[in-house]
Amino acid sequence: MRVSMSAKIVAGAALLALAVSACGGGSSTTSSGASGGAAANPIKVYIGEPQNDLIPGNTGESSGAEVIKGLYVGLVSYDQNAKPQLNLAESVTPDDTATNWTIKLKPGYTWSDGTPVTAQNFVDAWNYTALGSNAQQLNYYLSVVKGYDDMNPAPDTSGATPAPKATELSGLKVVDDTTFTVELTHPFSGFETELGYSAFFPLPKAAFGADKKISADYAKNPVTNGPFKLAKPYARGTDQAIEVVRNDTFKGGKAKADAIEYKIYTDMNTAYNDLLAGNLDVMDVLPDAQIPTAKATFGDRYIEQASSGVGWLGFNIQTGGDYAQNPELRKAISMSIDRKTITDTVFSGARTPADDNLSPLIPGYRQGACGEACTYDPAKAKALWDANGGGKVKEVTLSYNADGGHKNWIEAAANNIRTALGITVTPKPYEKFALILDDLGKKKVQGAFRMAWLMDYPSPEDYLRPIFGTGGSSNYVQYSNKQLDDLLNKADSASSADEGIKLYQQADDLALKDLAYVPIYFYKVNAAYSQNVKNVVLDPYEALDVMSIERA
Amino acid sequence: MGRYALRRLLQAIPVLVGTTFFIFVIVYALPGDPIQALGGDRRMDPVIARALRDKFGLDDPLLVQYWHYLTGIFSGNFGTTFRGVEVSSIFAGKFQVTLQLALTALVMEAIIGVGLGLWSALRRGRWQDQFVLAVTLLLVSIPPLVMGFVLQLWLGVKFKLGTGIELVPVAGIGAGEKSYLLPGFVLATTSIAYLTRLTRTSLMETLRSDFIRTAVAKGMPRRRVLGRHALRNSLIPLVTYLGADLGALMGGAVITETIFNLPGIGLQLFQSVYLRENTVVVGIVTVLVLIYVVANLVVDLLYAVLDPRIRYE
Repeated sequence: MRVSMSAKIVAGAALLALAVSACGGGSSTTSSGASGGAAANPIKVYIGEPQNDLIPGNTGESSGAEVIKGLYVGLVSYDQNAKPQLNLAESVTPDDTATNWTIKLKPGYTWSDGTPVTAQNFVDAWNYTALGSNAQQLNYYLSVVKGYDDMNPAPDTSGATPAPKATELSGLKVVDDTTFTVELTHPFSGFETELGYSAFFPLPKAAFGADKKISADYAKNPVTNGPFKLAKPYARGTDQAIEVVRNDTFKGGKAKADAIEYKIYTDMNTAYNDLLAGNLDVMDVLPDAQIPTAKATFGDRYIEQASSGVGWLGFNIQTGGDYAQNPELRKAISMSIDRKTITDTVFSGARTPADDNLSPLIPGYRQGACGEACTYDPAKAKALWDANGGGKVKEVTLSYNADGGHKNWIEAAANNIRTALGITVTPKPYEKFALILDDLGKKKVQGAFRMAWLMDYPSPEDYLRPIFGTGGSSNYVQYSNKQLDDLLNKADSASSADEGIKLYQQADDLALKDLAYVPIYFYKVNAAYSQNVKNVVLDPYEALDVMSIERA
Repeated sequence: MGRYALRRLLQAIPVLVGTTFFIFVIVYALPGDPIQALGGDRRMDPVIARALRDKFGLDDPLLVQYWHYLTGIFSGNFGTTFRGVEVSSIFAGKFQVTLQLALTALVMEAIIGVGLGLWSALRRGRWQDQFVLAVTLLLVSIPPLVMGFVLQLWLGVKFKLGTGIELVPVAGIGAGEKSYLLPGFVLATTSIAYLTRLTRTSLMETLRSDFIRTAVAKGMPRRRVLGRHALRNSLIPLVTYLGADLGALMGGAVITETIFNLPGIGLQLFQSVYLRENTVVVGIVTVLVLIYVVANLVVDLLYAVLDPRIRYE
């Protein structure tokens, strides 16, 4: 009896060990690398987990976009100066009013299943993205095309959504296999620039089932038209890597790498350690804490370049405190923030002080456009503050979302304002940005809050309209300036790009005068790569250029 | 004993229903709009937000939502995350990673913890004992977060760069069982320390009892005294601790999973609470509760094996 007891304990331990190894067997079959399909030695690139399946119209965040970039090509792409270049399109031609556009495709491009890329593929994809009930992330970008409103009826007062009046954009017409026309809701000369964004990419016939929806099975293993194609289906949520191989039938040139593995990490520091150990080849974003030493560690394999990102402090100018409603007081607050010291010390140089609402990457950016308002001058700020009744203000609040690493710079800015203006400044953390938006809606945000923007397409319009235009998607401050709206409309329908940019700059000047959002810093791209690769180039979207990278 | 086990399992049913409802309510009561949270810094387009809210029935009253969830489960549908991944596929892929991590940690705990505790107890007051006590103190005082990063950098990165040999992978589960060694150890450190001290105290106490003195007095060999009498009688608190720890390890693996990039349930749970994904949180917690219930039952049954004086009616 006693013997059997100790035997039982031994057996129990063995069982545990068995369970462990059984799990091991199971997981190694699902893990990457070992399984077939991909080339033996792919280039390994860092990404976070994509939020959605690899469908261009549903990919609004950077990790998914990074992979989309290799899998699909659109009508237009961008060069290193963020200027649009024709890609799939042979020509993109507006009429005199810039309202009706004719788009011709280059012949000979195919999908990875062998079928040709046709005008209908674009129309199908745009219709799918534009239909509100499909809940595609980039739905909003189709709103420039005529017929969008009928497909996206506004919820009625009870909160229910009426059935859409149409399921197709009335502004899209297929002329022949390689030609289609687009009618916009208003004149918009920047439409061609917009076409490089993934909201305007095509989808093949195979994507749509009988119900005209994209099925879950298709989304796991999409048919694509880019320089790379999936090596095996991607099960989002469980797979730790997305493997792609070169698509040798791609007509737009041959990528130098034959396979890329996008490795999914949940923590950037972990990825950085893998990069150091040589298990990862490219990181196109680095953890903030590593940036000061990364340059020394990686030498000429360290990349630093301009980003399209801009960070602001926004003031709730309709419903905020008295100081938030007064442009002169907002200017005084802005002038008491020492942007240079904050970017140099808090961010160790990973940001630069902002002097415009537009990123330096965007055609139309002007150095020093913000002028005095963005220049640190505590004495002048204090004088301006007192002259405009700032003495009555008891407290200034700075709201931020604590999940994004903003605490340090907000506290530094609070310190600046406190010292310069001699008032109480309270940093107010929120759990996440959505909660700041909630409070803004409830008119509970008294002071300033942080906000940032990364471009969708390289045009001043993509900054000014969503952020400063009346009712813009990121105009959380309820800023409304009729003059600015008019200038934006005029710029949209300008006859040339240069003329358009001049008008956008005038609109930008108005925004910089009113200072509903005060620009604080520009983001920078910090990247590094291993000794195993060369020709690492990042495009204006901060994503890896998949065509040029190769094994060293 | 069979009837006892059955009764215990039946008792788990109200526990499960209660927990699911409780968790559902808590997640429901978290502040913020879960759909807006999907958009990050950008305001979700109202049309899209509407479509998603309808799809997930987020505007229904709490009880209706809970009812939909329960009926869904009975028809085998665990729901999807707000990002459109099926919860059942998360179960399939991720639980196994966390389970393997937790079991690796548990085995390490049992072997290292009990081993060190024994050694220490048998050399009570000598330098070996002092050494073990100091080591456990060190293990308890280093947070797993620090331990994880430091060991990852030293053993994963520096060792490989220095010697060219990959001792343990830096991150991921690509290397099979080897991938779990370091994360398992990091996850187990605190418990190793506790278990060492628990074993030491428990064994020392048993060694002082009358029946041990009797066994020694009647000339029983030392090995038998220790193995048969002392150790077995000291095991009850250890088994209790290990059983309870399995649940804690599974639920508490968030940090370890993040540092070592293991696609497990802890991280998923964290993200889902953050995004207020009711169905996922409740699903995961339900399984965790089940594991807890079963582990505790096994522990209770083991008591009788270890100590024949314990009987179940």
